[in-house]
Amino acid sequence: MTDRLNRIGVAQLGFIRRTGRWAADAWRALGLPRIWAPQVIPQMRRLGVDSIPIALFLAVFTGIVLALLASYIFTGAVPLYFVGALVAKTIMMELGPVLTGMALAGRVGANIAAELGTMKVTEQVDALETLAVDVHAYLVVPRTIAATVMFPVVTAMAIAVGVVSGWITATNLLDLSTQEFFKGVRQFYQFKDAWFGLVKSASFGCAIAIMGSLTGLRTQGGAEGVGRSTTRAVVLGCEAILVLDAFWALVLL
Amino acid sequence: MKRRNEFLVGISVLIAFAVVVGGAIWLSETDLGNPDVVHTARFREIGGLGVGAPVTLRGVKVGRVNAIRLADNDWVETDLKVRVDVVLPAKPVAIAASGSLFGEWQVTVVDLEGAPQDPELRARLAEAGAPGGDTWPGATLPDIGQLTQQASRIAGDIGLITNRVSGALDSSAIQDVRRSLHDLREAADRLAEFARRQTGPFNEVTSNLAVTSGEVGAASKRVNALLGRVDSATADGQIVDIMNSTRATAADLRSASSDAKELLALVRQHERTLTRILETTDTLLTKVQSGKGSLGLLARDSTLYLETTAVIAQMRQLLADIQANPRRYFRFSVF
Repeated sequence: MTDRLNRIGVAQLGFIRRTGRWAADAWRALGLPRIWAPQVIPQMRRLGVDSIPIALFLAVFTGIVLALLASYIFTGAVPLYFVGALVAKTIMMELGPVLTGMALAGRVGANIAAELGTMKVTEQVDALETLAVDVHAYLVVPRTIAATVMFPVVTAMAIAVGVVSGWITATNLLDLSTQEFFKGVRQFYQFKDAWFGLVKSASFGCAIAIMGSLTGLRTQGGAEGVGRSTTRAVVLGCEAILVLDAFWALVLL
Repeated sequence: MKRRNEFLVGISVLIAFAVVVGGAIWLSETDLGNPDVVHTARFREIGGLGVGAPVTLRGVKVGRVNAIRLADNDWVETDLKVRVDVVLPAKPVAIAASGSLFGEWQVTVVDLEGAPQDPELRARLAEAGAPGGDTWPGATLPDIGQLTQQASRIAGDIGLITNRVSGALDSSAIQDVRRSLHDLREAADRLAEFARRQTGPFNEVTSNLAVTSGEVGAASKRVNALLGRVDSATADGQIVDIMNSTRATAADLRSASSDAKELLALVRQHERTLTRILETTDTLLTKVQSGKGSLGLLARDSTLYLETTAVIAQMRQLLADIQANPRRYFRFSVF
């Protein structure tokens, strides 16, 4: 029993030490923009722009479901213009950032982990180190910056599309006018609602990129290891999103 | 490829930026052409008011609550962002109240004179306005929860009163009340009947009065004529004769009055004698009633009466027997 606890403690200490070393390397790599800067735009395209369709797809159906659900809950009890308030508030502050983050955790986190894991198991990372290229500056920092910048962009579009789809649903499928819907949206809107969601999504992007990079660079064992790292990156990314979501709710609300 | 990446990323970022900025401006109803003016209102407490709540003037939304903060001396200060083109009342006050049953609070700007006449609200506004300055006085109206609580308390009081009234007005009391009402109605009917009956005589009296008044008027005219004649007769010495006759008549009246006084004195004397006789009689009768004296004994003792009656009966029998057989009792002999 004592040996078992000892092993667990040593493993945890090793994890903390490696994470600290990794964070220190990444921080140091920020001071090498000559290496990472050219990589940022392509990563923004891959991680951000290419993720817009899936984020918008999710947002459309989120808006529809929210409008119908709000109407189902409110009919007969609360004025229906509250549908607008509920759809807008929920999408701006919670569902927009979180669902987009979850979707991108699957797409972006898995993408980064698989790419870096493959480079690791095929010794391309070793080759870069041999060429005296800072691996963190070349691989990790541009992806992290790209995800941090582009997640709010994708989330903002998802929020807009989600509200619009909720409005279209409310006016076409429910007995609700445009004026009533946006009366509810405006009545409860605060500027904080918008930046709260965008700040959260930026933190989600950063976390997903870091988890993907961390698990990818620690991949071992060939193709099987790449698969494990990819799965692990997605799981860690989703967990990070939920933890950060609760954290921001505690801190900012 | 590199340029295409840059273009796509750039357009995405710009679209997102435009969505965020444009959406924020549109949803917050910010008019960039007309900057807002921030007014501060002072409340003792703000109930459910929050940042972003609408500010209305005569029911029209003219701004939003921009900030809420605690201030010194237990005050709460709120910054109300109001459109610059809005013409505010001369003495603006801010009243925070629930805008609907669903807890949406809002601030209504009204003139101090036009504020609701609720004494508590007025007192709070006066208290908030006492420090003066540019800060608007503010007060909070009770929300639906507080009103419901008050209504519940009032309903409880009404129920209590109803129970007490129900206990006081039992069936017998109600019957008494009904009987009283019935009596009252009868009295009213009688009064109406009386009034109806008296209407005729009253009218008659009135008409008589009118006739009398006419006659008095005629008499007055005759007196006037008489006075005129008296006036004309003054010169012939007739008045002197009349006065002399009147003087003699007055002397006769004085003499008659003296005789009447003597007569009255005699009557009073007789009255006293009569009173005395009556008192004696009364005493006598009292004694008879109480059985004192021979007469009293006679009046109260029936034995004498019965014996007397029996004697009279015997006397009658004796007389009858004498009449029937006179020879038995009387003998006439000449020789």
